[in-house]
Amino acid sequence: MSSHYAMSLDMINRHYQEPNRNRYETRQFWEELYPLIAAAGFDHIEVPFEPVWQFGGRSGVPMTPYSIETKYGNSESYRELLASAGIRGVSAVTFTPNLFVRNPHMDFYFGAFGHFATQAIGFARDLGADLLVLSPSAYAGRLFHYHPGLKDDAGDFIVRTLTLFTELAAKAKDEGVKLGLRPEYWSILPVNTVVDFCRQQDNVELVVNTAHIALSGSDPAAFLNTNIDITAYVQLSDTKLEDSNTFARAPNPEFPPQQATQVFCDAGQGRVPVNDILERVRGSLPPERVCFSNHHTRDPMRAMLRNRALINQHCSQTPLSDVVEA
Amino acid sequence: MSNIRYANMCHWKVVPYAQVPNFRDFYYEDNTNSVYYADWDKLLKYQKALGFDGIEIAPWDLADLTPLFGSPEAFRDFAAARGVEVTGMFHGAHACHVKEKFDEVVQAGKDAVDTIVKFGGTQMNTCPTDNYHGIGPLNEEQLANCARAINAIGDYAISKGVKVGLHNEFFCGINLNEHRRFIEMTNPESVFYCIDTAQISLMGEDLLDFYDTYADRISGFHLKDTADPSLPDEVRFSKDPEIQDDGKRWFWEPGEGVLDFKGLYALLKKHQYKGWMTLETDGSPDYLASMALSRYYIDTVLKPIYD
Repeated sequence: MSSHYAMSLDMINRHYQEPNRNRYETRQFWEELYPLIAAAGFDHIEVPFEPVWQFGGRSGVPMTPYSIETKYGNSESYRELLASAGIRGVSAVTFTPNLFVRNPHMDFYFGAFGHFATQAIGFARDLGADLLVLSPSAYAGRLFHYHPGLKDDAGDFIVRTLTLFTELAAKAKDEGVKLGLRPEYWSILPVNTVVDFCRQQDNVELVVNTAHIALSGSDPAAFLNTNIDITAYVQLSDTKLEDSNTFARAPNPEFPPQQATQVFCDAGQGRVPVNDILERVRGSLPPERVCFSNHHTRDPMRAMLRNRALINQHCSQTPLSDVVEA
Repeated sequence: MSNIRYANMCHWKVVPYAQVPNFRDFYYEDNTNSVYYADWDKLLKYQKALGFDGIEIAPWDLADLTPLFGSPEAFRDFAAARGVEVTGMFHGAHACHVKEKFDEVVQAGKDAVDTIVKFGGTQMNTCPTDNYHGIGPLNEEQLANCARAINAIGDYAISKGVKVGLHNEFFCGINLNEHRRFIEMTNPESVFYCIDTAQISLMGEDLLDFYDTYADRISGFHLKDTADPSLPDEVRFSKDPEIQDDGKRWFWEPGEGVLDFKGLYALLKKHQYKGWMTLETDGSPDYLASMALSRYYIDTVLKPIYD
């Protein structure tokens, strides 16, 4: 078993206020980060597709085709830079439509979601990733604010969402990319709806984000065990919280309004049985399909080393014959 | 009563909480200063404590801000309870140089005006059209298209009690060669100008001459310094020059760059400017420190010249 898993760039807080966060917008920051990821023992990265960074002509964050073209000319040059930094590939591109919940026009939401998801498919293809991980929906609470009718009846919304995913799956297939759907505790789409859709739909597979599953009320190890046959990718994320009942439908469910806390913690720091998950995926998924996901951690460098310490500990408990370093 | 009131242009990135109810517990989660920047309650208190009684909100914050509070009016009341009023909002009149976009651009402008009214604001500082790279130089017809759209937005804004203030960035399609000519193409009764002291200086304008010339049109200021006035064309017209690869900053706190703010304040006195002076600290790694540093400079250097 190789211990060279993937590392998600989602560990970098691109969205929320914190001191010194402006440095994340410079090319310099990212180009220093890649070799540090490799130094921590991760040789694949997961890239969140961030269409906001091309609005206004800001291209410091390498998470759109526009940014890559502006800074590197083309994706091949960017991949060469990654390779020179010790990053052998992009494990997946992820995309969430929260940005498009900003007015009462549902056509705007679906139109923008479809447009940018299609762009994200091409982005994944160009980066050599064969998986696009999609959030099933934007935050339910934010959708409820701009579309209050959804509180009473989300049936049409769900049907329209699944229709969009069917269309995107066909487009992705043409590009040699699979769609991965990631059940999320804050989504309008129930976990079972997502799982059922993945079972039925061509070119769509399941992505298991362990903290999301835990916060949805399921045991992530058991959930993974049940659905390992349709699971394309695991995001090893963690939480210390027991459930999300009081904040899953908040306008921003990443920040519980009644009791401020970090919902996500660095992998290995919460209650998700990360060692059990690593053991379960061994032999079922290639290591680059297992991605350490320290969503918006307060300290990316500490998070990576925490992850590495966890992996080292896990490997020390694994028979040496099973450990094959890449 | 001072002639100048000070405000802060909101460059806080998305602020996730309205008010953290468990400040001490949240601090102990990781013993860092993150909790000090996590809610609007504290950020508004900081700026009030430093003498910035107004806040200009940013349109890119609305998608998060509005659901967080429930409505613009609720944010207005929340800020007012902490002694801060909303002065207005920035707006980008994207693609207004394109004739076919007229209706879309004007509607977006009207929507923004309506939003500002709900927040209780009176200013809409508006950047006409897009970055120079990709569209410049604009021809006369394209400039006229911009003016027509901005005039239509301005007329609507005035009817709602809001002043549109043109706000040119150093990298915008309407750049040094067209800057003053474009102002003359707009309606002086309904289109005003917000001087971003650093932006127009980076663009190549003489800050003091510009203000002295257009004092009657000035509806507000974005107060910030720069160490790099009169950037060459190859920088201003390049693709995405705002955020430099190596983190070089175009903008600094007043007094930390090279602009003649003493001269500007002497002119403010000459023209008896009355209104908002909005500190803008984009590019700073620490907005609170920048606000405090600026306040010291304002109190010790600028206020003695004109208050």
